[in-house]
Amino acid sequence: MRAQLPTAMVFLAMLSGCALKPVQAWEKGELARPDMLIQGDPLETRFNEHIYASKEAASGGSAVGGGGCGCN
Amino acid sequence: MDNTKNKPPVGQALLAAAMLLPGVGAVHAETAPERGQIGLKYLYYKEDQTGLDRISVRAPSLYVLAPVAGEWSIAASATTDDVSGASPRYHSAVSGASRMSDLRKAGDVTVTRYLPRGSISMGAAYSTEHDYRSRALSLQGTLASEDKNTSWNLGIGGSDDSINPVNNIVRGEGRQTLSVLAGVTRVLTPFDIAQLTLTHSSGHGYYSDPYKLVDNRPRSRDQSTAMLQWNQRFTKLGGTSRLSYRYYRDSFGISAHTLGGEYVQSLSGGWTVSPSVRLYSQRAADFYFDPVYDAALGAPFPPGYVFGGTGFSSADQRLSAFGAVTVGIKVAKQIGRDWNVDLKLERYEQRGSWRLFGTGSPGLDPMRAVSLQIGVTRLW
Repeated sequence: MRAQLPTAMVFLAMLSGCALKPVQAWEKGELARPDMLIQGDPLETRFNEHIYASKEAASGGSAVGGGGCGCN
Repeated sequence: MDNTKNKPPVGQALLAAAMLLPGVGAVHAETAPERGQIGLKYLYYKEDQTGLDRISVRAPSLYVLAPVAGEWSIAASATTDDVSGASPRYHSAVSGASRMSDLRKAGDVTVTRYLPRGSISMGAAYSTEHDYRSRALSLQGTLASEDKNTSWNLGIGGSDDSINPVNNIVRGEGRQTLSVLAGVTRVLTPFDIAQLTLTHSSGHGYYSDPYKLVDNRPRSRDQSTAMLQWNQRFTKLGGTSRLSYRYYRDSFGISAHTLGGEYVQSLSGGWTVSPSVRLYSQRAADFYFDPVYDAALGAPFPPGYVFGGTGFSSADQRLSAFGAVTVGIKVAKQIGRDWNVDLKLERYEQRGSWRLFGTGSPGLDPMRAVSLQIGVTRLW
């Protein structure tokens, strides 16, 4: 993983610095729709993360501080 | 994609109207919510293997989001998981899955302070089961660029878990984990937004499964993820695609790929329908063994097993190489300005033969599950 972390950091920097035509505030109406928010339904997200964490080895990815579970 | 041809007209009135919508002007959660929200959800989840009923879960949950003084918000959730049934067979030739019953109670609260170009959040989470207790704290901050098209996200979290299995195979064990997160969210066009998040967690303590034989895992585990999410709006179709990919790797030798897709289609009368699919594949842990049988000791001991040995080993099917597919459909209806009801049905299946890489686990019995979620949300 250590070898891949720099690659991921570079990709992260590229995404934040990628040259795109800046979107103006008045063009962001569609982005404010609930289905366009990156975080989805909070309870549905919690259900899914909990179920998958108890059935699969991989977990996490979008947050920190969720705590553990005796299910895995 | 010709969405860019449908740019909304530019004008002061539209700008003013748009800025009243929650989240507009920022790409992430840097703006305080203007309205509060309360949501109730009920989950029913049930597993089955060939001809056998397995675990079932009933979990009611409550979520509250309250804006405070225009610059703060408090979000909290609480849930109980009533789990009962038999745990999955880890191998098709082994019939002795144990029955269990447990009630897990969990809650979390997050307080967020909104700043002109960012936010700071502090969170706490707590959960308890009859043999497991977890406490966690987190601190997360976001900072947006001047045009608010880019937002950076940093977070740190820690958890302290205590483990006291009912079979007393160990007592007073625990697990401590420190996690860090870095992410960036970027508005790509008026109809596209993407987020990349990296996380790394480092934990030490008791990772073995006290209820499984021949289960001896390392006392430390490092886990790393890279997750990319991309939402795109199709204005002509009235739909939104939500795509995600996660790469996972840990010090047990497991790596996994997860691909998720959901399409939210708006219909008339406030209805939306959202089909979804999730594909998952993982490589087995370095110390996972298929539970072939020692001629003298029987199942699930690996050939030549030595009692009292210190080598790492586990026959837990969750550490094996397998693939999984989830398909789902969600139907929701907006009622008036304030109410929303939704229903989601999902089908999950896990098979050793669906692994994309790695070897082993040909004898694993496929595991299937169905889940049903019913929810209602009210804004105030």
